[in-house]
Amino acid sequence: MVEIKLSKKEAYMQMTSEQMKTRTPFSEFWRKFKKQKLAFISFFLVLFLMILAVVGPFIAPYDIAEPDYENVLSGPSAKHWAGTDAYGRDIFSRIIAGTQISLFVGLSSVLLGAVGGTVLGLLAGYYGKWIDRIIMRICDVLLAFPGILLAIGIIAILGPGLGNVIVAVAIFSIPVFARIVRSSTLAVKSTLYVEATKSIGAQPRRIIWKHIFPGTISSIIVYFTMRIGSAILTAASLSFLGLGAQPPSPEWGAMLSGGRDYLNIAPHVTLFPGLAIFFTVLVFNLLGDGLRDALDPKIKD
Amino acid sequence: MHIFIKQESKGELGMKKALSVLSLLALSMVLILAGCSSASNDSDGKDSAKETEKAKKEGKDIVIAVQDNFTGMDPHDTNDTLSGSVQKTMLEGLVGFDKNMNVIPVLAEEYLANDDATEFTFKLRQNVTFHDGTPFNAEAVKVNFDRLADPESGLKRHSLYSLIEKTEVIDEYEVKFTLSEPFGAMINTFAHPAGLIHSPKALEEFGNDVARNPVGTGPFKFVEWKPSEGLEIVKNEDYWLEGFPKVDKITFKPVAENGSRIAMLQTGEADFIYPVPTEQVENINGKNGIEVESNPSIIVRYMAMNTLKKPYDDVRVRQALNHAINKEAFIKVVMNNQGNVLDSVIAPDVQFYAKQDAYAFDLEKAKSLLKEAGYENGFKTKLWGGNNSSAIKAMEFLQQQLAQINVEVEVVPMEAGTLSDRIWSVQNAEDAEIELYYAGWSPSTGDADWGMRPLLGGTEAYPPFSYNVAYYDNPKVDESILAALQTADLEKRGQAYEEAQNIIWEDAPWAFLSTDNTLAGKKNYLQGVYLLPDGSLSVSEIEIVE
Repeated sequence: MVEIKLSKKEAYMQMTSEQMKTRTPFSEFWRKFKKQKLAFISFFLVLFLMILAVVGPFIAPYDIAEPDYENVLSGPSAKHWAGTDAYGRDIFSRIIAGTQISLFVGLSSVLLGAVGGTVLGLLAGYYGKWIDRIIMRICDVLLAFPGILLAIGIIAILGPGLGNVIVAVAIFSIPVFARIVRSSTLAVKSTLYVEATKSIGAQPRRIIWKHIFPGTISSIIVYFTMRIGSAILTAASLSFLGLGAQPPSPEWGAMLSGGRDYLNIAPHVTLFPGLAIFFTVLVFNLLGDGLRDALDPKIKD
Repeated sequence: MHIFIKQESKGELGMKKALSVLSLLALSMVLILAGCSSASNDSDGKDSAKETEKAKKEGKDIVIAVQDNFTGMDPHDTNDTLSGSVQKTMLEGLVGFDKNMNVIPVLAEEYLANDDATEFTFKLRQNVTFHDGTPFNAEAVKVNFDRLADPESGLKRHSLYSLIEKTEVIDEYEVKFTLSEPFGAMINTFAHPAGLIHSPKALEEFGNDVARNPVGTGPFKFVEWKPSEGLEIVKNEDYWLEGFPKVDKITFKPVAENGSRIAMLQTGEADFIYPVPTEQVENINGKNGIEVESNPSIIVRYMAMNTLKKPYDDVRVRQALNHAINKEAFIKVVMNNQGNVLDSVIAPDVQFYAKQDAYAFDLEKAKSLLKEAGYENGFKTKLWGGNNSSAIKAMEFLQQQLAQINVEVEVVPMEAGTLSDRIWSVQNAEDAEIELYYAGWSPSTGDADWGMRPLLGGTEAYPPFSYNVAYYDNPKVDESILAALQTADLEKRGQAYEEAQNIIWEDAPWAFLSTDNTLAGKKNYLQGVYLLPDGSLSVSEIEIVE
């Protein structure tokens, strides 16, 4: 709470001292975002992960699928930074290569969920009445399931595989997005400018996309970022259970699962993929926290 | 935009929380890492010092921890090896197996078979009584085998003894079985743990509830069985074999978790555990007075290839796959060195095993065989198997090996229900989707018949009737297997099985991989307890030596 007050005060003081300077919404956001130290660092770490996802397979020191049966389960050393797994494959290289999979699954599943949820939320919020009731009740039903259980159920229907994991995680992201977008829509709908647009005679489609949707973007972005972390975690959990990525794919959850038989004789096999998951989820969540504070309209006003 | 207002305060708190959690995690990580390194240093130092340490035991009560729960104490109506192991302590059969799966007399002193393998006569041991005082005689044997042979009984083990047409009491201590058709492997079937003998009085009194009230002639008497806690047996003071049993009481406890079972052995809560996970062997052997016994078993591991499907209908492809797999590495990586290369269809301890020349690990040869068969650039295929961690590990290994000859394998682990749907319920051989299947088999009669006929015995063994998932059908093999069954002459049976093994080996319907070792952990004061090659446990001669 104390931090908020400070930042508010600072913001106020800056406002008065540089009042005449006009700012675009983006530079305003950037200025606030830079103040969130932790989130700011996280932002660069996320960028780093993205770059790693692109170049990872090319810079990995070892071939990720090449087994070395003479060198199984050896601990971290100068040669193998994170040791080797049960087939003698270099864990460090596999983690680097696995970044791509985890980020892809996280981003694409949340993107799908966000698109679906946003459309449903806009419809429910704008039209209200029975459309609203049907969509929201379905969302309530979906929300009643614990996320991972719903995902397992979907996988049970679709069959295991990384593609189906994306679908499963997307489906259980939909209701939350729908709820958030609906509530923003309700708020924006009753503003004066929307009323005005309506009275000019604009079509509902135009009102929704040109006038209401932009007002919901900030909440979508915030939730989107926060959701990526949990999507990565869920995808890893499903792979851990053998429902997601199939061997020999270097998916982190699958690597974690492969090491669990050796927990007390070769803990590094589980430790390093676990750290990778931990680190990635953490930076996305911190980034999400920071974005939320930077985009908070209360501070802006 | 009320949601932001609600979440704001939470967010700030969350951030602080995240920070403190982060630092805590970092701290614990450092501790864990420190712990790891110091622990490994410690054990290195202790190894040599503790090796000769002898564990101490007070009293003569033994606790044995096993992996699964027992299914019942009626040997005629259970089909798991583990329950059979416990039943054997209380009930005995006419014949049994020794440590190496050779048939030995137990309640019978000797037996005779006619040349056609249709009549078997047993001379029984005299002066043996059941735990309830009933005398053991030919009538008791007849009651038991009449029960097993009765098709109306619905007993799980009926199929093993369905060939018995009639059982006759010749005199008090002689009994004769007549089979409806020749079956050369019948003596092994009598020795199978399903052929144990109940007290006829108990059968009459309890009916099918003997599963909870077993009364036999064995060295131990039943006390009680609480399914979640375990099963208790005590010494039979009037046991017919002089000097046995040598302990007062044994408790069998089901402990599913590998880690807890090992911890129980380490703390002395259990004196004997089975099985020990392969990757833990080196970790516990020789420490805290623990000995791990590793012995060859008759459990074989193989990869079946659907011989009705392209490209596996070509014997050169099947041989190529055999040449492409490094079996030594398989044992090292997948079995953690606890196994041997499989060099026939059946394991060396199975009766009538005939050693074959192993398919050498030779990538050049494998590639040229594939080229001859027209698959120079390899092909794509699917490998099915169970979803436990060791099966998955084995399949991943096979995937890596076959990649060397450009055979691209997709590993498909399935849970038991899906497997049985997709493999065992296929009605027509042509509909079978199966391409490659990683599997294991343990013929618990210890006879070549049960190691070959159900798995490779032609069209009659196709699913859903039996387990021929390679859809392997070679009339010559069927002929040999049949010939071996129609005689009780050991030499003739041996020849027939040798021929069958030679043909199967050449035809390579499987990629032959390995035989498992059985792994049991015990305190080093324990003796006379061992695992049979089929994975069953023998504790009748257990004793404490200090």
